[in-house]
Amino acid sequence: MAPEPALRLRGITRRYGPVVACDAVDLTVSRGEIHGLLGENGAGKSTLMRILLGLETRDAGTVERDGRPVTVTGPREAAALGIGMVHQHFSLVDPLTVWENVILGDRGPVRRAAAVASVREVSARYGLAIDPTARVSALSAGERQRVELLKCLRRDPAVLVMDEPTSVLTGAESAELFAVLRRMVAAEDRAVVLISHKLPEIMAATDRVTVLRAGRVVFRSPTAATTPAELAREMVGREVSLGAAVGVLSSASAPASSLPAPSSAAPSPPVSSPVACSLAAALAPASHSIAGDGPALRVSELTAPTLDGLRLEVRPGEIVGLYGAEGNGQRMLGDILSGLTVPDAGTVEVAGAVVDLRRSGALHDAGLGMVPEDRHHAGVVLDMSVADNLVMTALSEVSTRVVVNRRRLRARARRLADEYGITAASLDAPLRTLSGGNQQRVVLARELSARPRVLVAAQPSRGLDIGAVEDMYTRLRRCAEDGIAVLIISTELAEVLALTSRIAVIAGGRIAGETATADATAEHLGLLIGGLRS
Amino acid sequence: MSLAADLETVLSSGIRLTAPLAFAACGEYLAERGGALNVSVEAMMLGAAFGSIAVADVTGSAATGLLSGVLIGALIGIVHGLLTYRVHVNTFVAGLVLNALVLGLTSYLVTIGELGSHHVAQLSVPGLRDLPVLGGPLFVERWPVYLLVLIVPLTWWLVERSRWGLELRAAGEDPAAADMTGIRVNLCRGQALVWCGALAGLGGAYLAVGEVGSFNQNMTAGRGYLVIAAVIFGGWRLGRTLAGCALFGLADASRLALPALGFTVNSQLLVSAPYLLALVAMLLFTTRHRRPGALAQPFRRHAPDPG
Amino acid sequence: MTRLEGGLRGSAGVAYALQNRAVAGVSALAVVAALALSGMLIAVTGGSPGAALRALVQGSLGDATAVSMTLLYAAPLLLVAVGACVSARAGAFNIGQEGQVLIGALAGAAAGLRLAVPGPLLVVVVLLAAGLAAGAWASLSSLMHELRGVDIAVSTLLMTFLAQQIVAYAVTTPWLLQESRLGAAAALPQSNKVPAGGLLGSFGDYPGLQVNAGLLVGLTAAVLMAVALRHTRWGFRLTMTGLNPAAARHAGVPVGRMGGMALAVSGALAGVAGAVLLTSPLSTNRLQPGGSLGLGWDGLLVALIARNRPLLTIPVAALFAMLRSGGGFLAATGVPSYLVDVVKALLTLAFVAPALLRRAA
Repeated sequence: MAPEPALRLRGITRRYGPVVACDAVDLTVSRGEIHGLLGENGAGKSTLMRILLGLETRDAGTVERDGRPVTVTGPREAAALGIGMVHQHFSLVDPLTVWENVILGDRGPVRRAAAVASVREVSARYGLAIDPTARVSALSAGERQRVELLKCLRRDPAVLVMDEPTSVLTGAESAELFAVLRRMVAAEDRAVVLISHKLPEIMAATDRVTVLRAGRVVFRSPTAATTPAELAREMVGREVSLGAAVGVLSSASAPASSLPAPSSAAPSPPVSSPVACSLAAALAPASHSIAGDGPALRVSELTAPTLDGLRLEVRPGEIVGLYGAEGNGQRMLGDILSGLTVPDAGTVEVAGAVVDLRRSGALHDAGLGMVPEDRHHAGVVLDMSVADNLVMTALSEVSTRVVVNRRRLRARARRLADEYGITAASLDAPLRTLSGGNQQRVVLARELSARPRVLVAAQPSRGLDIGAVEDMYTRLRRCAEDGIAVLIISTELAEVLALTSRIAVIAGGRIAGETATADATAEHLGLLIGGLRS
Repeated sequence: MSLAADLETVLSSGIRLTAPLAFAACGEYLAERGGALNVSVEAMMLGAAFGSIAVADVTGSAATGLLSGVLIGALIGIVHGLLTYRVHVNTFVAGLVLNALVLGLTSYLVTIGELGSHHVAQLSVPGLRDLPVLGGPLFVERWPVYLLVLIVPLTWWLVERSRWGLELRAAGEDPAAADMTGIRVNLCRGQALVWCGALAGLGGAYLAVGEVGSFNQNMTAGRGYLVIAAVIFGGWRLGRTLAGCALFGLADASRLALPALGFTVNSQLLVSAPYLLALVAMLLFTTRHRRPGALAQPFRRHAPDPG
Repeated sequence: MTRLEGGLRGSAGVAYALQNRAVAGVSALAVVAALALSGMLIAVTGGSPGAALRALVQGSLGDATAVSMTLLYAAPLLLVAVGACVSARAGAFNIGQEGQVLIGALAGAAAGLRLAVPGPLLVVVVLLAAGLAAGAWASLSSLMHELRGVDIAVSTLLMTFLAQQIVAYAVTTPWLLQESRLGAAAALPQSNKVPAGGLLGSFGDYPGLQVNAGLLVGLTAAVLMAVALRHTRWGFRLTMTGLNPAAARHAGVPVGRMGGMALAVSGALAGVAGAVLLTSPLSTNRLQPGGSLGLGWDGLLVALIARNRPLLTIPVAALFAMLRSGGGFLAATGVPSYLVDVVKALLTLAFVAPALLRRAA
């Protein structure tokens, strides 16, 4: 037995502007073990692994293989050092055959017969049946996963990283995969890092587990010595660190609201526990949901490539959180509610009327405002001015049938910028020059300026610094106070707990369970998204 | 005149008109499989045609001229590659500007200098050249034509069988996945452009020192665009691309030869046929062609959402 | 936190302004480099750069006739360039202007020769027919894009070569537009002269200086399009479509239709340029196969240099027109007139690279 671990990461740090994706992360993986790496989306798992593969640079820290410090400059170099990764998406080239994909990234001449034989040999050794000459485009998701694994195993890696390997697999396929992994680790003394958010699979398949939260390691334990409940709690945090800050901010900014708050319970008291915080949030909207006669937003049987008959209702004045791990259909729902994709089946009703999803702008006209997940993609036009971005969905209000009144456009933009505290050197500067928080405020201001009945905000705090996050939360709460039905699509439990009065958990493109936030515990929700029912 | 003799005339000139297209098409085919659609084939061919005659003038050797043509084509490929993959200029813009630049430059230079006439040697294959009808057209040619026998299989092998070709195809189909696997997408495409330039250069140089024997202003006259049409018509398959070149070459030969033989042809239809066929192929055979998934799309690595 | 951020934003604004200035600086340098290279080319090939420059200026601005010529060239260049701006701004990259110019000229000639429209009204009909035909021609590309996802740049390019042959066919086919000759003299591959009522006259009466009405059309197009892009809902939505189709769709813009319309407008303007060429003193007022004089390609370069801003196309088109009219006078200095083609290409290269550098930043 080598005394040195197969892989040791020390103090890995990576910053994106103000956001720290990895904060002095230490991780040690020994030969012969499957090491679970657990964390919510955005906890820093992917960044850490991209650094390990040389796809991302690090600001600080060292990587050691078998005790020797190494520099990894790219996937090929990583492979040469015995580090292989099975990616969650994007690493197979569809029109190429299985064997071509498997040898992609190797060196030396291409020998078809040898490659096919080696694919056969490896697939037989691990019991991963696959036709080496098939085109990848013709394979099922499970078969693709097998190809990914084969591609990696054929290079005989000492350290194998698996990124959410079961996200597209059926239960049986997953079980088979873990059986293969266990055999391999036991027989060949490899080290495996298993990245996952699924608690049962972490519990069943790993020897040790490390939990990342907000870029830091918060928990380490032998798997046998912990419980799913404890892991769920560690993953989302014992206390919601935002709670205190949110309380301070909401009380400070409450007087700024131009509309009278209909409920005296609106400003949340400073709190530090998620339950207390969510209770406060839940109290305010309650009065509205009683007043409202029907749901402002009703999504019925929505079916699309990643959605499986999704059903959801949000009543006026209510904030509902749609919580789940990434890749469970949230993005598709967001695209549909942005008008970018037309679903295969199902309807979206706003205030009781079915919206014709094929007509662009129909959702907006029906009174649905959207703060999209990737604002650079669908939310803003980076090369147009701040003023233009603020007004682009309400063009008819600053123009005649033909002519845009630039003066009125600017006046409206100015008013919105002031109201929402958007700081820009000039309203004529391209939106690109604004900080993430200000860009997000531009989107929110614009969507709210249309006085929508429904506001959908997907990952509203992603990529924002802490101050901007607080501000965003305050504004979202105020929307609900004003009687708007608010739907928060989020992968961060802290966010959902801090904002909503009701939480629906999405898994596999449908609602896995629903609960009042006041009754929710981190454990319970963690189990729900982890695929366990409590 | 007998029908056989007529056929021989048309065939013979058809092959000569096909050869430059075929060389360049091998290059363009390879580049497009890697996702690099470069409109600058015209510039490569024209620049090489001029360069080959100019260098032959200086050195007195037509073969050296031919080689220089290859190098000039490759150089234009490098420039195109730098513009699109370094400076990130739109590939169509880079191509059109290069075409304009080379057309202007060669026209300027040929007006200034008195360029002579140079031909590479004729090579005829003993025995085979005496075959009826096919013997003359196929086996009595300027020697560079026979390079096709090497270059076509080489191109096929490079794309379909070599390590580099595998990576190139991956870059052309799914640059993000290729990048994940450790392939340097833009470098790979740049290399493909150099190869494309060399072959287009060979085609252009052959036109000058092989066929015509001299350079005249804009002598390629849009053959580069014809090559692009051939690759599209061929549905990004080498065999069909070359068949397209032969078809276009024969159409051109018929247009020139048939009236002299007493036939009436609609010359406009023959000239426009390649472009028409390319457009029709794109409209009709979308399921059978092998259009690279990321054709003409620039690739840049995006940092993912922190997480 | 707000104050801190305000500070950050301030510096970003300054950085943006600096960046803009840097781009302007780089562009100026690039122009100098392009001109220096051209000068070197002349010197190396035994000519005199100074003499060539003098000839260029003399030939384009030297006297009233020269200026008239420059202005004549400027008109179609402007029209093509403004059209190129429109489609590029909408994200539909049209590079087939050369063919669209020809189709415009063809339709203009057909209308001028076949329609019995009285006097001065005829010229209006000619221009309209040209615009409509070339707009429809360009729309074929959007149709192919909608149906099969055929790349617009590729299809517009390929269709240019079709257009050339269609025009060639029309002017060599007696029952179409080939000129009718009395007697035995062989008819040339060209059409009859467009009747006087279909021609663009000069306006204003300055001694020796002719300012053709075509220029008025071009300038009007440039100014109107600048205003339309900046001040109308159509322009706003078109710009949005080009910069971010997803966001535009979200904001209720029918993105596909917007792109198709921009392409049609772009083609139509190129077509009008073809008609202006046909009916102004630049040509013999007959449709000829080479009648576009390559102005379609040039107009595209003008738009690239002007970075798709219609008002900026005015000075750039003027510069290109000067190169055209001055180019004819180069030969006297022993410098081939092809020099101007080199200069045009180098200038475009010089402008395109830094413009995209900024995009990348």
